[in-house]
Formats: sequence, structure tokens, C-alpha cells
Amino acid sequence: MEEKIEKNPEIVGFACSYCTFKASEMAGSLRMKYPEGVKLIQVPCSSRVDPAFVIKAILEGADGVFVAGCHPGDCHFIKGNFFTRRKIAALKEMLDAFGMKDRLRLFWVSAAEARRFIEKVTGMYNEIKEKKNGG
Amino acid sequence: MKIGVFICHCGHNIKHTVDVETLAEYFRKYPHVAVSDDYPFLCSEPGQNMITDSIEQHGLDRVIVASCAPSLHGELFKDLLRKKGVNPFLLRRVSIREHCSWVGDDVEENTEKAKRLILSGLYGSAHYVPLEEKQVEVNKSALILGGGVSGLSAALFLSNMGMQVYLVEQAAELGGRVRELKSVWPSRKAGADIIAGMENELRGRDNAAVFTSSKLSNFEGFFGNYQATVATPDGEERFAVGGVVVAIGFEPFDPQIKPELFYGRDPRIVTTLDLERSGDGLKLPDNPRVAVLHCVGSRDEQIGRPYCSRICCINALRAAEAVKERFDGSYVESFYMDMRAHPRGGEEFFEDTQEKGVLFTRGNIAEIVPEPQGIVVRGEDTLFGEVFEREFDLVVLSIGMSAPATGKEVANLLKISLDKDNFFLEAHIKLRPFDTAVKGIFIAGSCSGPKDVEESINHGRASALKLYGFLNLGYAFVDPFISVVDPKRCSGCRVCEQACVARAIKFDEEKHIAHVEEAACMGCGLCNATCPSSAISLRGYVDTVIADEISGLLEAM
Repeated sequence: MEEKIEKNPEIVGFACSYCTFKASEMAGSLRMKYPEGVKLIQVPCSSRVDPAFVIKAILEGADGVFVAGCHPGDCHFIKGNFFTRRKIAALKEMLDAFGMKDRLRLFWVSAAEARRFIEKVTGMYNEIKEKKNGG
Repeated sequence: MKIGVFICHCGHNIKHTVDVETLAEYFRKYPHVAVSDDYPFLCSEPGQNMITDSIEQHGLDRVIVASCAPSLHGELFKDLLRKKGVNPFLLRRVSIREHCSWVGDDVEENTEKAKRLILSGLYGSAHYVPLEEKQVEVNKSALILGGGVSGLSAALFLSNMGMQVYLVEQAAELGGRVRELKSVWPSRKAGADIIAGMENELRGRDNAAVFTSSKLSNFEGFFGNYQATVATPDGEERFAVGGVVVAIGFEPFDPQIKPELFYGRDPRIVTTLDLERSGDGLKLPDNPRVAVLHCVGSRDEQIGRPYCSRICCINALRAAEAVKERFDGSYVESFYMDMRAHPRGGEEFFEDTQEKGVLFTRGNIAEIVPEPQGIVVRGEDTLFGEVFEREFDLVVLSIGMSAPATGKEVANLLKISLDKDNFFLEAHIKLRPFDTAVKGIFIAGSCSGPKDVEESINHGRASALKLYGFLNLGYAFVDPFISVVDPKRCSGCRVCEQACVARAIKFDEEKHIAHVEEAACMGCGLCNATCPSSAISLRGYVDTVIADEISGLLEAM
């Protein structure tokens, strides 16, 4: 029987510099592990993420894209993440038309939640990996 | 364009899981990369010299430093560029330690990831333009939230340095929890006396305004120029402050959260704090049997308090000692998980208490049953592996510290973060323990995690000193990451105006275009992502930078 080669997904994450990026730094300092396929781009606020960036990443080959910001109500810029939430919801509907809704995720991770960051990105990675490998 | 790529080994921290030599070699072949090198510690003096020498030798106009997280050593590398006359915003930091070498184990995979991350930085930095930091004047004044022992010591320090201080306390009098302590270990001084000394000193100063029964109701502005509104009993007060020290303290753990302890339902079950307040009035039989329970509200996952409160072991020892001293024939038994008498002299105090006849049993308490003749305590002795059952006349709960009740409210007003236990989160646990993520806002005392009196005083002074260091110059530089409108592209649709939370975008009716008021812009970039004509750009994070960073991460190579 031919041995199946596992394909690893590439995931691009947009991380708010006040919370999720801080959480990812903390996760690093605590030597928590997550898949190498997850790579971050630091943005000042999750609201800086133009839906065009998400589409660009998917077009260029990302298997998954996530946007991560502060919990609703905790935004350093007062309500930037509310705008993000609405934009991502609209974008998800659009992606749904192409059957790519699952490629985009939005989640909230505060600066203290290193563990949650790991759980969210690993969870997303594993689900996408399963799909990519025909699961 | 001449780019220098510098890759740090960070001793073994990066090198052990990332092949740094291969990386340096790889980037040498990229166009515009004039120099690509690796070095054991870029932050060391020879490492810094290597960067400055390369800038000089190759005439670099972009510097990429692949090392630790950008929040560390940020100014250090910027200064190197400044020193050589290169705009500091042409520096790009790539985190290959916290985001690569520390989070993966496979050398090959990690090297590949680091390659991508650096490439992303390389592509992004190609679009960097020199930015000017604007110099703004700062108010040499400080707002201190909380008039407890750490807030008072911060206020005393700052007012002593000639800075205007506004101290806001929500209770009617200053002193916080320390005021309630009868004798503060190890000096045995009364808490009220310690506070009175500090309060008198502060009240005697012209440059300190104290507001009791007051609370912060609104807070806006930016570093050096914050506007604070405080609700006082005499109405609202507004003042401009340069920075803030948050010292709102803690909340004693309420044992009623654990109903199995019967606290509040049986007068024979008291907390260490009750003992401080009204211990002298306690009615006990002649040869009282007293149990002291450690770790009540600490190291308890079930009630969401997994942390050690650090102060309660000493408190428990003090309670045991106090009973032993007052009642000659008393039987005092202390049930502990682990004895953590960490302050200086704590271990000796523990031994003294044992010599005074207090028994220590390492055990888990399973059950407390109040009976008319006494309180039955059942549990397991974890050293002997035996189950025990004993009867006591008094049970003292050594309660821990919980996060401040107003923590969430204050965090929202000041836009600072809380940690998982709802204490305030510091910017970096080791390197910036007093700072928050917001410039000019510092945390002090037990609102950032359990601390004893001595530590709280030191913490207050340290935060005050750091704030003083920020404000003393009288001016500060503000981040140049603000939005700017391209008037040629702006269609005047006014979408950005509605989106802007900071109300920094104003519409010019005459020219029919939007413009950004620089001082008000917070730099979130929401307008940039919202503008349908791509007419607004957030400096430092313009569309092309982020778009090319994406390409760097994903490009086929």
C-alpha cells in the first residue's frame, strides 16, 4: 500500500498588538508549543485588518486565516473589535459562497490568555489539517 | 535600498532549534540585502557594534533584527539607528524566539518558519518610510488611584520629588487594609500608626491633593496629557495628569463562597482578618482548642483561585502565636498544605511558633461540622496517610487575597489589562513588572498580585520612580503611527468619520475631503481598513506593508 504523505496547512493570523500578540509572546516565554504552520502578523488593533488582507492571504495559498483581538469591551481603542466582528461576519458570508467559510476564524484572546491562544490556534490548525488531508 | 539582516542566537535560546547560520547565508542572496549575519547576542555591546559598524560600512537604510519579541529591547536597537543618523522607524524587529524557537522543537521546521518570518519582515520593511516622532510637553503631575500603603508611598515619593500629586481613595479614610492590622509583622507596629505617619507627611505637602470617598469616573488623553475626571462628594473634579499609578489593592477572600466552611453561620468560625479586628473580644473557654486552616481562598482551582496568596502563611502563624500567647493552656493546631513563610525572617518565625507549642499538621481538610460542644474538623494527614477527626472551640481561616472588586471597572477606564486571576497584568513579568501596556500607567501593590506590606511599599515607590523617570524631562515623544489622508484619493464619502472612535477625523466642507487631527488620532487603523477608496493610511502599517508581509509568509520558495 502506498504511504500517504501528510500535508501541513499554512495559517496566517492577524494579531492585535495589545492582546493576542502579547498572549503569543507569553506563550513563547512559557515554552508552550504550537504548530510551525501558524504564523502571525502584528497589527495595532484587530480593526486594522482590511478584509482584503484575508482574501489576499487565501489567494496566495493560506489554508486558514484568523483574526484575533481583545475580548469585546476590552479593546484598547474602545470599540475597534466591534467593527472587526461585523466586518468578519460579512466576509464570512461572502466566503461561504465559495465554500471557504471554514478558512476564516475570528477569536478573542486577552494578553493574559496564553493557554487560550494555544488552544485556539492548535484547534484551528488540526481541523484544517484534517480537511486538507481529506478527512 | 540597502538592507542589513541581523540574526541573533540569543545564546542557545534561538540557536538550539533554529539553524541561524543557514538563515544568514540564505538572506545574503536576496537583492538589496547588503549584509546578512548572525551573532550570539545582538543586544550585547559587541553585537550592537556589529550593527552600527555595518550601517556605516554598507550605508544601510533598512535594518532587520531577528531576535526576541519586539516589546523587548525596542528602544535599544532604535537608538543604534539614531546614533548612525538613520531614521529609527526603518528598523524592523522580527520575533524568532517567542514566536519560533521557543514554540517548536523541530530544527528543520523551525528554520523554515524563521525564514518565512524574516522574509515577511524584509518585504514589509521595503515599504517603510522615515517617520518623525513628535515631541509633546508632558504634565509633571500624577494621579494615584488608591490610598492604601502602596498608593501612599507612591504619592509621598512623587510629591517629594516636586511633582503635583492627586490621590484618589474610594473609602472615607486613607490606609486601605493595612489600617485594620493590629501589628504588622515583623516590626509589630500597628497598621494605623504606619498609615498615620504617611498620611500626616502627605497632608502637610502643598503639592498633594487628597480626595477620599471619591472615584475615577472618566479618563482620556494620551501619555503626558491625560485628562482625569474624579467624582468626589463635592462634585466633579477634572485635572490634567502626566501619568497614573494604580494601587487599588485587593479584596480579602470571602469564605462564604465556600459554604462548607460555615463561615458567617457559626460565630466560632472566624477569619484571620476578624481576629485582627476583634480578636481581643473573643470569648473562649479556659483551655481553648483552636484550629488554624491555611490556604482558604488560595491554591484552589475549584473556586478559580489557583494562585498562592503569599501573605496568609505568615498571617496564620501570627494568629496561632496570638492565641498561644493569650491563653496559656491553649491547644493550637495549624493545618497546612505547604508552609510558605517566604519573607525575610519568615522561616525563623515558623520555627519560633513551633517552639511556642503550636502543632503543625500537613493535611487536607475534608469537612467542618459545627456541633454544640465544639467544631469537628475531619481530614487527612498527608504525611502519615491517616484520617483524623478533632474537636475545636475556635476555627481560624487564614484567608487569601482576591482581585480588587473595582479592577474590571478601572481596567476599562484606563484601557489596561487584567490577568487570568483578575489582577492587573504587567507589561513583562521580569523586565517591566511595574508597567502596563499603556505608556505612563503603572501598577503598584497587591492589585497586581498578592503582596505583603513591605513589598507593597516597595512596589509603590518603584512605580512612582518609574513614572517620575518618564515625566521628569518635561517632554515626551509620541508614536508617529497615526493616520493620514491622501486628498487626491478621498472621495468625501465620510465613512471614516463615522468609524473613528477617537473622533480624530474631521470633514472639510469646503474641499469636500476628510482630514485627520494628529493629536487626537490613537492609531488603531480602523479608518484605513474602512476607507473604500484606500485614501487613508495608517503610518507604519500602510496597506502595502501588511500586504507584502502576507506575501512573505506565503510566497513559494
